[in-house]
Amino acid sequence: MSTLLEVNGLQTYFDTIDGVLKAVDGVTFSLDRGATLGIVGESGSGKSVTALSIMRLIPMPPGRFAGGDIRYEDRSILEMSAAEVRSLRGNNIAMIFQDPMTSLNPVYRVGKQIGESLRLHKGMSRKSADVRAAELLDVVGIPNASQRAKDYPHQFSGGMRQRAMIAMAVACDPDILIADEPTTALDVTIQAQILDLMIELQQEKDTAIIMITHDLGIVADMVDNVMVMYAGRPVEEGTVDQVFYDPKHPYTWGLLDSLPRYDVDDKGRLIPIEGQPPSLIAVPSGCAFHPRCPYARDVCRAEEPKLSNLGDGHVAACHFAGSSGFVRGSTAGGAA
Amino acid sequence: MLKYVARRILQMIPVFFGVTVILFILRAPGVLPGDPIEMLTGDRVISEVTYNQLVQKHGLDQPLYVQYVTYMKNLFKGDLGLSYKKNRSVTEIFVEKYPYTLRLALAAILIEMIVGLSVGIISAVKRYSFWDVAVTLSTSILVSLPVFWLGMLMQVLFGIYFKRWGLPYLPISGMGNPPDLAHLIMPAITLASVSTAYVARIMRSQMIDVSQQDYIRTAEAKGLKGGAVVRKHALKNALIPVVTFIGIDLGAMLAGAILTETVFNWPGIGYEIYLAITARDWPIVTGGVVIVVIAYMIINLLVDVSYAFLDPRIRYGGEAA
Repeated sequence: MSTLLEVNGLQTYFDTIDGVLKAVDGVTFSLDRGATLGIVGESGSGKSVTALSIMRLIPMPPGRFAGGDIRYEDRSILEMSAAEVRSLRGNNIAMIFQDPMTSLNPVYRVGKQIGESLRLHKGMSRKSADVRAAELLDVVGIPNASQRAKDYPHQFSGGMRQRAMIAMAVACDPDILIADEPTTALDVTIQAQILDLMIELQQEKDTAIIMITHDLGIVADMVDNVMVMYAGRPVEEGTVDQVFYDPKHPYTWGLLDSLPRYDVDDKGRLIPIEGQPPSLIAVPSGCAFHPRCPYARDVCRAEEPKLSNLGDGHVAACHFAGSSGFVRGSTAGGAA
Repeated sequence: MLKYVARRILQMIPVFFGVTVILFILRAPGVLPGDPIEMLTGDRVISEVTYNQLVQKHGLDQPLYVQYVTYMKNLFKGDLGLSYKKNRSVTEIFVEKYPYTLRLALAAILIEMIVGLSVGIISAVKRYSFWDVAVTLSTSILVSLPVFWLGMLMQVLFGIYFKRWGLPYLPISGMGNPPDLAHLIMPAITLASVSTAYVARIMRSQMIDVSQQDYIRTAEAKGLKGGAVVRKHALKNALIPVVTFIGIDLGAMLAGAILTETVFNWPGIGYEIYLAITARDWPIVTGGVVIVVIAYMIINLLVDVSYAFLDPRIRYGGEAA
C-alpha cells in the first residue's frame, strides 16, 4: 500500500475576538490507499476542522493554517492554488457531511445535485450526467432510481438523503472519502445500512476512508487505524486492536470506560469523564487533559507530553504512557 | 395548483364586497364631514332647484342600499359611475390615468429589483468590506428619509442647480408630452428609493444566512467555484423572502403613489384619488379603491403562486407531499 495522504503537524487556528482558537494543534497521521482511519473525540476536539482542513474548506479569515502540512500524493494541499484545490474537491477527495437533512440543496432535484460534480470534473453533458446520477442512486440502493433522481430532497427520507449524499461523494470515484459523522443524524437501523454501503463501495473501488465519529462502536466495526483527539491534538494513535484492547492514554481509558458494557457488573452505571472539554482559546498548560485526568501529576501541568512511540506504530501523548505500573484503574492520584 | 388558484379567486369575492360596503358606509350622511354637492359648487350660490337636480343626477336622493345595488350592477358592466366634480365617466378617467401609474410603478419595481438585489448580493459576498459598510450606512439613511423630501431634494439638485450650472438636467414635473424617459427618471427613483434600500438589506441578510447553510458547504466540497456556488446554490434559496417583499411592494405601487405623484405632478391614480377624497367625489374614490383592491389581490395571488416555482417544498392543493 502506498501513502495517499499525509498530515504532518497540522495547525488550524481561528482568530477570534477573544484570542487565537487552536482548533487543530499538531495533528499527524497518514492514510494509505484503501485504508480506513477513524478519528474519534468529543465535540470540539478538532475532528471536523481536521477534515475541513484537508478539503481546504476552512473559512479564511477567521481561519488560518498556522503550521504543518497536508500532502496528497506528495503534493502539498495547503500550497495549492484555489483552482487546484477545486479540481481535487469532489473529484479526488470527497466528503459526506453529518446532517443529510440540511446538506442537500432544497431547491434542486437530487439527480441534478449528484450530476453536478460529474459535469464539473468529468466534463459530462447534462444528459449523460443525469443518466449517471440515476445509476449512482441505484448503486447506493435507492429503489426506482431513475424516477427518484427527479425528486427534490424533501421527498427523500433521512436515510435516503444520506444515500444520495454518498452517491454524490462517490460520483467521481474519489481516492479519499471523508465522512464527518455520517450516521449521527440517522436512526440506528439506518446507521448500519449506511455503514455497510460505505464499506461495500470502499472494497469495490479501493477508496480510502476517513471516518470521523464519536461513536466508538462504528470505529471498532469498520476502521483499520484510530486517532483519538482531545483539545485539537491527537492523544493516541494506533490500530483498532492497539487502541481498543491496549489503550495507553488516560483519555482513551475514560472514553472506553464511559461505554455501556454487558460483561462488567457495574450496577448499570456508566463512568463519565468528569469535567468539561477545555476552551480551545485558553488550553490548559502542559497536558490539555490534566484538569480532568485522575492520574495527573505535577509534570502534567508543567510540560506538554510528546507523542511517544509504544511500538508497532502505537503512539500516545502521555508522560506516563507505557511506563510500568501506570495502568488503567490504578487511580494513582498523585499530587492531584 | 389550479384548485388552489380557483380557491384563492373565490376568496377574493367576500373581500371585494366587504371593501365596497365599507366605502358606501363612508358615503352615508354624517359619517364624513362635507357635502359632495356643496364641494362641487364651491362658493357659488345655487338655487334649491339646481341643487336638487344635481342630487337627483348623481342618485344621491336614493337610500344608500339602493345606491349600492345600482353601483354594483353597473360595476359588473364596467361602469364605475359619474364623477361629481368632473362630470365624466369614472371608468374613462381611470382608463386614462392607470397607464401612467403602471408606467411609474413598473419603472420603480425595475430599479428596486436590479439595484436592490445586486447591491444586496455584492454586499453579502464582500461582507464587512468598505463597500458593505457603505451600503449598510446608505440604506439606513435612505429608509429613514421621507419620500417626498427626497423627491424635492432631487428636484432642487438635478432639476434646478444642474440647469443653473449648465449641466445636463432633468425635468422636475409632469411626464412629458409625449411621455419620455427623462421625465420618468426622478419620480421612479423617488418611488423606488425606500424599497430598494429594504430589498438590498433583506437580500444581504438572506444571502449571508443561506451561505452558512450546510448545502452551500456541500456545493463547495464538490469543487464548484465560489461564483457558481453563489449563482446556483445560494441565490435561489435567498430569493424566496425577497420575492414576497417585492411582490407586496408592487401591489402597493399599483395602488398609486400619492406622495411621489404629488411631488412630481405625475398624473397617476394615487394623486387622482387623493384629489377626489378632498373633494368628496365619491365615485372616483370608490372606483379607484375598487381598482386598487383588485390589482392588489391579483398581485398577491401571483406572488403566492410564484413560491411554488422558487421553492419545490411548497405545493398547493395537496398534490405530492
